[in-house]
Parts: sequence; C-alpha cells; structure tokens
Amino acid sequence: MDLALILGGLTNVLSLTNISLVLLGTLLGLFVGAMPGLSATMALALLLPLTFTLEPATGLSMLAALYVGASYAGSIAAILLRTPGTPAAAATVMDGYPLSEQGQAGKALGISLFSSFFGGLMSGVALLTAAPLLGVMVLEFGPVELFAIAVLGMTIIGSLSQGSVVPGLLSGGLGLLVSTVGMDTTTGTPRMAFGNINLFSGIDFTVALIGLFSVPQALLLIEKTGSPSKVASAIKDRLVPKVSELKRLMPNILRSGCIGIATGLIPGTGGDTASWFAYNEAKRFSKDKASFGKGNIAGVAAPEAANNAVVGGALIPTIALGIPGSSSTAILLGALMVQGILPGPNLLTDHGEITFTLIWAVILANFALLVVGLMFTKLCVGVTRIPDGFVACAIITLCIIGSFAINNSFFDVGLMLAFGAFGYWMVKADISPAPMVIGLILGPVMEKSYKQSMLIGQDSFWVFLESPIATVLLLIALLSFLQATPFFRWIKSLFKMIRTQ
Amino acid sequence: MKIKLLTATIMTAMALPITAHGEYSASDEITVLQGFKAGGGSDALAQLAQPYLSDILDVDFVNEYIPGATGGIAWTRLAKQSPNDGTVISITNTPMLMTNYIINEEMQYNVDELTPIANVITDPGVIVVGEDSPYDTVEDLFEAAEESPGTVTIGNSGVGGDDYFSTIMVERASGLKFEKVPFEGDGPSATAAMGGKIDASFNNVGIVYSQIQSGDLKPLAVLAEERLDMLPDVPTLKEKDIDVVAGSSRGYSAPADIPDEARQDLIEAFEELAEHEEFLQKAEDSAFNIDIVTGEDYEQMITDMESEYQDIWEEVEDDA
Repeated sequence: MDLALILGGLTNVLSLTNISLVLLGTLLGLFVGAMPGLSATMALALLLPLTFTLEPATGLSMLAALYVGASYAGSIAAILLRTPGTPAAAATVMDGYPLSEQGQAGKALGISLFSSFFGGLMSGVALLTAAPLLGVMVLEFGPVELFAIAVLGMTIIGSLSQGSVVPGLLSGGLGLLVSTVGMDTTTGTPRMAFGNINLFSGIDFTVALIGLFSVPQALLLIEKTGSPSKVASAIKDRLVPKVSELKRLMPNILRSGCIGIATGLIPGTGGDTASWFAYNEAKRFSKDKASFGKGNIAGVAAPEAANNAVVGGALIPTIALGIPGSSSTAILLGALMVQGILPGPNLLTDHGEITFTLIWAVILANFALLVVGLMFTKLCVGVTRIPDGFVACAIITLCIIGSFAINNSFFDVGLMLAFGAFGYWMVKADISPAPMVIGLILGPVMEKSYKQSMLIGQDSFWVFLESPIATVLLLIALLSFLQATPFFRWIKSLFKMIRTQ
Repeated sequence: MKIKLLTATIMTAMALPITAHGEYSASDEITVLQGFKAGGGSDALAQLAQPYLSDILDVDFVNEYIPGATGGIAWTRLAKQSPNDGTVISITNTPMLMTNYIINEEMQYNVDELTPIANVITDPGVIVVGEDSPYDTVEDLFEAAEESPGTVTIGNSGVGGDDYFSTIMVERASGLKFEKVPFEGDGPSATAAMGGKIDASFNNVGIVYSQIQSGDLKPLAVLAEERLDMLPDVPTLKEKDIDVVAGSSRGYSAPADIPDEARQDLIEAFEELAEHEEFLQKAEDSAFNIDIVTGEDYEQMITDMESEYQDIWEEVEDDA
C-alpha cells in the first residue's frame, strides 16, 4: 500500500468544510436511524444527488458519516421505546428495553454509543490495514458456506428459547414460514402470494419487524396509561459510562466487533444478522446467562458493537473487489461512479486517494458519532418524560410512515398493521418475537443458498462436507444445537461424575 | 416536529433536479417510476441521463421508487393506473419487462399497454470464468459440457433475467446442457465465478468490466453482433457459430395512448441525447454501452424480444 495515498486521503478528510459536513451527515444519519422504517440505504439514496455538486472527498465523507450515524441510532428507540429504529437494532431491544424499564436508560444508551464507536472504529482500522487481504476471503464464501452460516444462525433460536422451548420454536418456525412467501428463486414462480402482486417478491423483512415490535409496544403503552409509569421520568444515571465498566465490557466489544466485520464481509449477510450472532456469543461466553433478556448491559454492548462494525466490513468487498457488500455500500459505489470512477479491484491502486478518503471518512465519522451522538441521545432521552399515551400515538404514526416509505407502498402499511396485531397477541401469549425475527432474516438466505448448493453439488449432500469452511461452521452449529438440549447437560454431568470419582 | 423535519427532508430531496419551466408540451414535471431500489442499475441510468434530459426538455424529473416483483409493481402501475398525459413515464428494463409476464401468468400488464419511448443502454452479455479456471476459451467450456452434460455450473442473475434466457439460448443453439444456478443479481453471480464456486457466469459487460480489466475474471465470449471496442480481444459467440446475441437493455416508456405531441417531444429529446457529447463521454467513463433506439424502432425491438422469449419459455417451461 502506498503511504502517500493514505496520507493524501487523510488530508482530504481533515478540511474544515469536510469536518462540518461529516458532523451534519452524522446528525442526519442519527435522525434517520432513530426512526423505525427509515433506513440508511434510503437516506443515502436521497442524499446522493446532493453530493454531485460537492468535492468528491466531501461528498463521500458526508455519505459515510450518514451510514455510520444511522447504524448506531437504531438502538435509541430500541432502548427507550422497544421499537428498533433499524432492523440491525432488533437484538438491542432484548436487554436495552428492560434496562430502560429499570430506570437505567441513560446507562444503556451510553454503553450502546460507546460500543458502536469501538465497533465502528475497529472496522475502520480493519478497512485501512487489511482490506485487500480480507477482500480475498470474501471469495471463499459461496452458496455452500452461506448455507452453513445460516444453519449456525438458526441455532440462535435454540439459545433464545431457553426456558420456553415450545413457544420459542413455534415463533422461529413461524418466521421461517413467513419467509417462504414470494418468488421461488429456482423456478421464478411466486409462492403463497395468493395472486397478489405485492407479495411476489416476498414480505419485506423490515415491514414485519416494525409490526412485530413497535405496534404491540404502542398498544401496551396505551394499556398502561393512567397507572403510574414504570419508566423513570428523568434519566438520573449518567450517559457517559464509567471507565471500569467499559473495561469489563471490552472483551465482549472486541469479540462482537470481529463478528460484525466478518458478517459484513460475507455477501448476503449484514447488520441484522451480525447483531444476533454477537448477542448470542455474548450470552454464550457470559457467566451470568440467566440475566440476559432481563437487562444485562453486555446484551446491549454486543449487538451495537457488531452492527456498527458491519459498516467497515461491508465496505471491504466493495473496495477490494468492486462488489458492494450491502445495499448501502452499493449506493456509496454509485457515489464513486458519479465522480467518474469505475469501481473495481483497482479502487485501492488507481483511485487510491479517493478510496482512502472514503476509509478515513468512515474512521472520522466514528469520532463525530461519539460527539454528535452524545448530544442527540441526550435530547432523545426526553421521550421518557412524555406521557405514555402520546408516545404510543407517535410510535404508531412513525410505524405507518416508516412502513410506507420502504417500498412506497400502502399494501406494506396494511401488512405492518397485521404483523402488529399478531405481535400483540404474541406478547399476550408470552411468546417472544425474537426467534421469529431470526427465522425471517435467515430463512431466505438458508433456502436460496441450499438450492444453489444442491445445483452446484449435483444434488449431493457431500457438497457441504467438501468445503472446509462449511464443515467447521456446521460442526459449531451442531455443538450449539446440542448445547441447547438436555443431552449436553447429561454429558456434562457424566464428565463431572467421572471427575469426582 | 420530527415529522415536519422528515417531510421537509423528503421534499427537498425530491425537488433536487434543477428547476426550470417550459418546453415540454405536456407538463413541466415528469414523474419517473422506477421498479427497483434506489442505487441499482436503473437508478444509475436515471442519475446519468436525467440531468441532460432535464436540460433538453426544460422539465423537472421526480424519481419514484416502487420496488417489488422484479419491476412488476411499477410497470403494472404504469400500464394500469398512471395518467396517460405524458406526466408519468417509467424506466423499462428489457427483457425483464416482458419475461415478467411471460413467466408469471399472474402478472397483469403487457407491453401493448405501454408506449415505448426510447432505449438508452444495452449492456451486452458476456461469459466470464474465474482467473484460476481451467477454461481459457469458450471451446474449453463447451467441451467440458459436452463430456458430461448437465454438470458444468453456469451462474445467472436470476430466473427470468437476461442471463438466464441467454444461457438457454446458447443451450438451444449448441445442443449442450448446463446446470443453471440462479443468483440474486449479476454481482453475486460474478463473485461466485471469481471464487471458483461455479464454472462460469453469464453476466453483463458493464457489471464485470473492471474485474475483467484487473484479471480477476477471464472473459470467454461476448454475446454481441460484433466484437466490442471495450474488449477487442474477446470473440463473439457468433464467430464460434453460435448465433446468440443478448444483453440487458434499459430505456424509457410511457403508458399507452399518450398525446402524440408529448410522445414526439420525448422522442426528440432522446434523439438529441444520442448526439450529446458530454453525456456520451460520461457514459463511456462509467462503462455504459449507449444504444439509443427511439420510437417505433424501440417498439419493434420490444415486440421482437417478446416473441423470441415467449418461444423459448414455451419450450423450457416444463423443465424449469
């Protein structure tokens, strides 16, 4: 790598206009990310034409800042309102909202912000130092490996269902079932679409997610109106976390950051998957598993570090191979094309200066996130002082706007409300929506990659064992699966017995 | 307050193109329905062409993204629910525009309900393999398929896409049988070929051009009438006696029966675009293969494609 290019990129980023636009971009990102249904991708697409008139470095920095900001801000509403602002923040709800209920919203938000910062920074550094190296790794992940990842992801359902196995599996199964709606990719015909063109490309995952989490929450808030509110009306705890606490969470954040980078790297998986993987691993490595889901701060740090680390991870194939790792990075590639650059493997060499500008912008944006995020989050905390009834109405309104905005479709609004009604029933029946979300995310990935693997492997299951990566992943999946069954405990007690004798 | 800010953001973003008034007979604003997500291929065309068209016609373009059913939702809206006064047009991707309803009977629109205005881009098909692939020529690849029919894996951008159909066209013309592996888009199909996960990928030149330049992908043949200026050393399939010419094209269409004057204005605008130096240069820089075909010629291009793909589908439908 050429040091001159790297430094050139750095000086491009560190101009005054640039820094101010990075701050603005971050603020825009925070706003978009905090709103359920409004995604980073959408905001990037809207902002893109604005950047045509800007200097290449400035335009790219602003876009990168927006992407970074939005990746964090999804957690704000997830923690305060139990409504994930972005799909990637769904896992943050699990422990973030219980913390908020216990009057520790400030602590949860602070940890979320700092974890996002560290996760984002890690991925930025990985991007700067190891992009070409990691880029080659992307090519190792074909359909066969992707299938193994999806299977591994499915085992998270097992760990999420501990203590309530049947409802958990039911919820996961429903998620898988819903994910089969839409075009069958190998025949090109729509399934379970009932002749409705709006269902031909399936149910948009974000639409289902908004309905499942946000609407029930609004209804529950309305039910509670009149009774003394459980959420502390003022945030008494401080937003900036204690150093000792961060230190304790550091191994978790580092692990989650790596999970985020790797997940972002693999084409076909993104922030929504990474956050669940990280959450699951945080739980697996924790000594206090039972406290997860009841307000364990590690359950906030893990998904947040992971989903921000995805930003850099997804940019790695974009930069090293010219292949976008996510829809958001596809738009960033578009921004490069507008500057007259044809994205490809030559991005780091021929167009090095502009590419390193982008990389530095991602790193700079993380610092901007820390500053702007602190102020923005402080403002958002004000939400807890608003009476529940009003908050509920605001949530419903945002859900409707958000679900419409995804595909500009009223049908999606109806679909969202239907998922909302179902989600409300799930709450009343004490069934967690989390396994269903996993099913919805991984169902399509698993099905498509399975079919592709079968075509590639001439209908032989050996194809999965011929790939070392897939074999290892599947073995881990098997272990995780056994860990969630009584069988594992039985073996463990057997070992203990042998040892004591 | 937040909602106000939100609408304001959306409004400013939508009103982005340069404000101007006047020459287009139908309106001073044209809504462009896009059947795919922002940031995709058709959006790239919009971002490339519309600033120039906006100057020529003196109108504002407003992009409306209605993704879903591989463009089907937007095109159904164009055919069935849009005013036919020249205020609404759509980016039409061929052959997807036709294969959509050829494959799915449930798709309600067809091209007779549209007024084709102009094609702008044609991205020719190309057969690529990974850099470590044992196949160096298209003959190598076909020989392997001949030795063990149905085992050579060929990636495409999805069932119903241009690459899927061009693979079938090659199969019909050569008598060979490939294992067709559908991916979600050209990118993933190219990546799989790059990593050696599949034997070859039927792709499009504009998508994989820079990967070919860097040597990560080897081009075996292009599916064009003549060799391309961009890839002068790559033979056409026609040279190999396989008469298959295919690619993915993007243009603009309006609903049926728009006023003649509006149609004429639009067609003239695209004819002017075809001569616009700055536009052509910018397109070349971005590896877009400009192929402007207007009015009745575009209509002919669409009907020809429709009957060709209809034939192919009828033949292969049962074993798809």
